[in-house]
Amino acid sequence: MVALTLANLKMMSRNRQAAFWALFFPLLLVVVFGLFDIDGVGPGGLSVLDLSGSPVSHQIREDLEAINLLTVGEFGDGEAQARSAVASGDLDYLLMIPLGIDDPDKLRDPDSRLAVKLVYGSGNPGRNQLVDGTVRSVVARVLAEMPGVPYLGLVESQVVESEEVAVAQVSYFDGVLMGLVGLGIMTNSIISIAVRISTYRNSSILKRLLVTPLPIWKYFVGEVAAHVVLALIQAALILAVGVFVFGARIQGNLPGNLLGIFAIVALGSMVFLNIGFIVSAWSRTPAAASGMGNAIALPMMFFAGTFFSTAALPWVLPYAAQALPLTPMLLAMREVANAGQPLWTTWPQLAILAGWALATGVAATRVFKFN
Amino acid sequence: MEDAVLVDSLVKRFGSVNAVDDISFNVQRGEIFGILGPNGAGKTTTLEIIEGLQSPTQGSVSVLGMDIRRQGAQIKARIGVQLQSAAYFDYLSLHEILALLGTFYPKSVRPPELLDQVDLAGQAKMRLNQLSGGQKQRFTIAASLVNSPELVILDEPTTGLDPLARRNIWGLIRQIHQQDVTIVLTTHYMEEAQNLCQRLAIMDQGRLVAVDTPANLISRLGAAYSVKVVLAHPLTDAQIAAFDAGVEVVQGQFQDQNTYLLRLNDHSKSLGPVLDQISKNGAGLEHMEVTPVTLEDVFLELTGKELVD
Repeated sequence: MVALTLANLKMMSRNRQAAFWALFFPLLLVVVFGLFDIDGVGPGGLSVLDLSGSPVSHQIREDLEAINLLTVGEFGDGEAQARSAVASGDLDYLLMIPLGIDDPDKLRDPDSRLAVKLVYGSGNPGRNQLVDGTVRSVVARVLAEMPGVPYLGLVESQVVESEEVAVAQVSYFDGVLMGLVGLGIMTNSIISIAVRISTYRNSSILKRLLVTPLPIWKYFVGEVAAHVVLALIQAALILAVGVFVFGARIQGNLPGNLLGIFAIVALGSMVFLNIGFIVSAWSRTPAAASGMGNAIALPMMFFAGTFFSTAALPWVLPYAAQALPLTPMLLAMREVANAGQPLWTTWPQLAILAGWALATGVAATRVFKFN
Repeated sequence: MEDAVLVDSLVKRFGSVNAVDDISFNVQRGEIFGILGPNGAGKTTTLEIIEGLQSPTQGSVSVLGMDIRRQGAQIKARIGVQLQSAAYFDYLSLHEILALLGTFYPKSVRPPELLDQVDLAGQAKMRLNQLSGGQKQRFTIAASLVNSPELVILDEPTTGLDPLARRNIWGLIRQIHQQDVTIVLTTHYMEEAQNLCQRLAIMDQGRLVAVDTPANLISRLGAAYSVKVVLAHPLTDAQIAAFDAGVEVVQGQFQDQNTYLLRLNDHSKSLGPVLDQISKNGAGLEHMEVTPVTLEDVFLELTGKELVD
């Protein structure tokens, strides 16, 4: 069985064209999605917590509203809630204007430590830098131009204190990257095994194996093991390109959560390999196997929320999507990779996947044909 | 010692067609046993039942004393099989394929020994698609020997090969046979059956029409020579009736209408009178072939048809 697995891996690596395209297709999508700077272009949301309520604070707010980079709103529930909104990633920027900001004496007094405070999450450093600089210059200018007050000579660094809060900010790309891992594993597992088995059947290789005393289950295990190894390599490559080339982030405790992702990939790939075996049983030629595999994989790609949320689907489809095997796989991967949760918290999804693995495994051995 | 193969009242039905129709025969240990018949005679189906690839509809088959229904795995461990036109993995070398196949068996022969035996030692690192037709066939025979089997089953081992490659394979089969291996092979080549096989089963349309040694099958005909004559004009019934007692017209007016196939007990006595008859009646002898009776004649006699490649 080990010999068969190794021989399978050897054959896969020597079939360079097939190996290249199997790995290349999802990587291509990673590059395409990575090139769209989906997160960077959007404006940040800024909420003002105005404790001063003075003409000066209104002026600051008004000037900030004129800046395209920011969508300015009000935050009325107090500092604690506002800060936790930033920490959880729900709010991009919090600007707290203290009481007495319109008082030149207090501003001039170094002991009063009166300053406007800008709090932001660590998720988008590029935009943070821009917003930080913009806010500082706006506040300094408004304070310098306070009507009826002589020039105070304040510098930006004195009037604005900024504070960065570490945020597990998940970008759209981080989520899509998991979708692409799932998509790559699914299409490759289904189509590769279906085409391979169909080819073997047509050229009587399966028949040749059948006249040896090799038990059938060992043959299946050898095929599945080799393809699971391939799936893990594929997942590692997609993640590496996503993280190192396009700056995707994987949250949580890194070695642990990374292993968690690979565990989900292995389980998911078994489900899709079983589906591939079933497809191969229904198709007479390798070309038919490829077509049938695509017909299963492509709709599943969309319905399982690989690229966007399935909440927008009409009628019962969002519920039906939950039943597809790719859905729990992606949910579990995103829980671990994007929400930073440990693997065990995804047990409901893992249980659904394991159920799929079992059901498709039984079905595959039932419908499988050697001739 | 028990038979290598014992087939008893075997029937294999596909829908309403009897692919194998109630056949019984045995293969003795240490012999080269041939199954001869045209395409569609049921040869491959019979072999596949013996190999455990198909299950019989009725009847029983035992291989090396074991029942195919109950001891399939044990049988597979002790027999070697060459399938008709079976491919092997594309991306492995000959050596690697044999090594992999070897891991499926409790005991196996080292790949270099196998390749050496079939004269492919120099091609060990090549892939199957780089070999010639004859080399491929030799490799598939090597692959059937990977477990050092007691019985080797070869399904049309020389089909599609040129005469030289075919003789090369015959030599290889004899060489394997000398190592006390029982061989069962199918063929639709008369010459191969006659030269290679110690005993033969002749199949036609799923039925077994005869089982015997090639020599016995031929002597059963009771004729020594076969004469084919091509005439300018057809013979009349009266002319045919006037032939000697030792002359039998097996086929009249076939091919180009005026060709006749005659069978003679003894050409020294009968051939002269036949030629006299033909010339006396002005039929005009255009061409004549006299050959010893072969399996071809036996087959024609038993099935009423000619074997064609």
